[in-house]
Amino acid sequence: MYKWLDERLDLTGLYHKVLRKAFPVHHSFFLGEITLFAFVVLVLTGVFLTLNYEPSIREVRLPDGRTVPAAYASVLYIDSLPFGAVIRSLHHWSAHVMIAAAFLHMLRILLSGAYKKPRELNYLVGLGLLGLAVVTAFTGYALPYDNYAVTATRIGYGIAHSIPWIGGTLAEIMFGGEFPGSEKAIPRLFSLHVLWLPLLLMALIGAHLAIMVKQKHTQPRYAERVAPGKILGVPMYPQQMVMMIILFALYVGIMTLIAGAFLAHPIEAFGPPTPNTPAVKPDWYFLWLYGLLQIIPSSWEFHLFGAVIGPEFIGGVVVPGILALIGLLLPFVDTRKDKMRYMELPSEHPVRTSAILALLAFFLMSTLAGYKIDFQQQGSLLGNNAVLWTLVLGGPLLTFLLSYTLIRIFYGKKEEVSEAGKS
Amino acid sequence: MYRNDPILPTFALILAAGLFYAAYLDGQHIARLLGHTPLELSVGQIGLMAFGAVLLLYGLIGLVSYWLEGPELRPGRHFPTPSTAPVAAGVVLVLLLTALSGFFVRLLVYSAQTGHNPTWLQGLIFGSISLVVAALFGIYKRFFGRDEVITEEEKSEFPW
Repeated sequence: MYKWLDERLDLTGLYHKVLRKAFPVHHSFFLGEITLFAFVVLVLTGVFLTLNYEPSIREVRLPDGRTVPAAYASVLYIDSLPFGAVIRSLHHWSAHVMIAAAFLHMLRILLSGAYKKPRELNYLVGLGLLGLAVVTAFTGYALPYDNYAVTATRIGYGIAHSIPWIGGTLAEIMFGGEFPGSEKAIPRLFSLHVLWLPLLLMALIGAHLAIMVKQKHTQPRYAERVAPGKILGVPMYPQQMVMMIILFALYVGIMTLIAGAFLAHPIEAFGPPTPNTPAVKPDWYFLWLYGLLQIIPSSWEFHLFGAVIGPEFIGGVVVPGILALIGLLLPFVDTRKDKMRYMELPSEHPVRTSAILALLAFFLMSTLAGYKIDFQQQGSLLGNNAVLWTLVLGGPLLTFLLSYTLIRIFYGKKEEVSEAGKS
Repeated sequence: MYRNDPILPTFALILAAGLFYAAYLDGQHIARLLGHTPLELSVGQIGLMAFGAVLLLYGLIGLVSYWLEGPELRPGRHFPTPSTAPVAAGVVLVLLLTALSGFFVRLLVYSAQTGHNPTWLQGLIFGSISLVVAALFGIYKRFFGRDEVITEEEKSEFPW
């Protein structure tokens, strides 16, 4: 059988060209694979969900007599199917895990300097993937059409709408009209969520992997000693394939355990949409933006060329826009002349490492600001705007200084000693 | 970043445990404020658990990689040493896999007939099936698979 296929398709050629590709081994490389497998599980579970979901807000009557939107009713139906609730929960959890894993994967790239020549372009594709994953997750948030999802999505609608000059058009494209209210909103979000954005994600993931294969993976530093100038690794087939199967099985195993024990979004707990707005917060990956919106005073508003520049735009678009711009420019600012083959050690780059830790501190403090109202209700000091501003601005600064000083103290001396030893 | 060490994955597991515990404490705090335990998880709990899950997976696969592939690669072929214990472990795991699969199907039939969906049990059984598959592949790779470490030129003609 193999011989028959080989004579026609040159399978041996394929084996030598593709399946013998060397994969360098380092545990941190698995963060990218966790992201990929989360996406695979999202697609697989998403196929099941689309077979049973109705993207409409027309009124339907449930067996218990309640009248609810069809989208909400179809999610109740999915939950009533054997294993249906677990599959929906697994889909929900995988979306969170994909974003968290992509974020940690990006941190690894930043900490090891893997964005440098020749991988600048693939780094930009990766940044685009992270952004697209967040947008895709957001478009799925409203689909169950329960009271919580509708209210949380409204925050995103407000941010999109606040963008000067193009906000109205952008909101129209994403939501198909006013949200909530427009009958086109759910069909529009549904088609974006299950078709256009996943197709774009697949194309970008394909490009990300193809560029990675062409440019070769960065390698752990020891490889320079063992096989200088070459790629040291295990063949794609069978060894790397077996490791990928193990990771995929671990992923499905652990995430199904979590999804079954902790149903991520039990819509019965929230109920169908009502005129009463529940106290909600957006998902954790938007909470830092929400936190900024909480602490930016409403007086920060001015007019520019006929458009209103308000707090929503400043917190929800300008600040993440600045961060995105820094991220996009990074590989063209922090450069090296020679080709980067081996991962850089974070301790050898105290400024970069400290800046990344400061960025983490900024995200954490901004996320903390997202709980401002809760702090105020509990009478906590953290409910004070001035305290939160101090934490959001001072926390990252302090983290940078502390991290830089510690790295210089512990690793600077080591470098000096090794350099003295060489001379 | 230097070699495939077990230190970072071990720290990741400890951090994951810490994040899951923080999610538990967050739940306790919310229950205290509300006077009852809500059905849904809070945004904070989901975020903590999502990062906990990623770090748990990363820690586990990192330690598995250290166990199966070692801290540093050396070019050449490495042949496994035949042994009886892994065969026995494999047989036991395959029997367990069969029993779990049968029980899972029975559970689905029960849910279809009664309309009762014990999600935690469904997740537990299906998750266990997948973890047993992972363990079987781990045993295969460690004790039966022929390992090879290769070197490759930087320039290649694939994919273009």
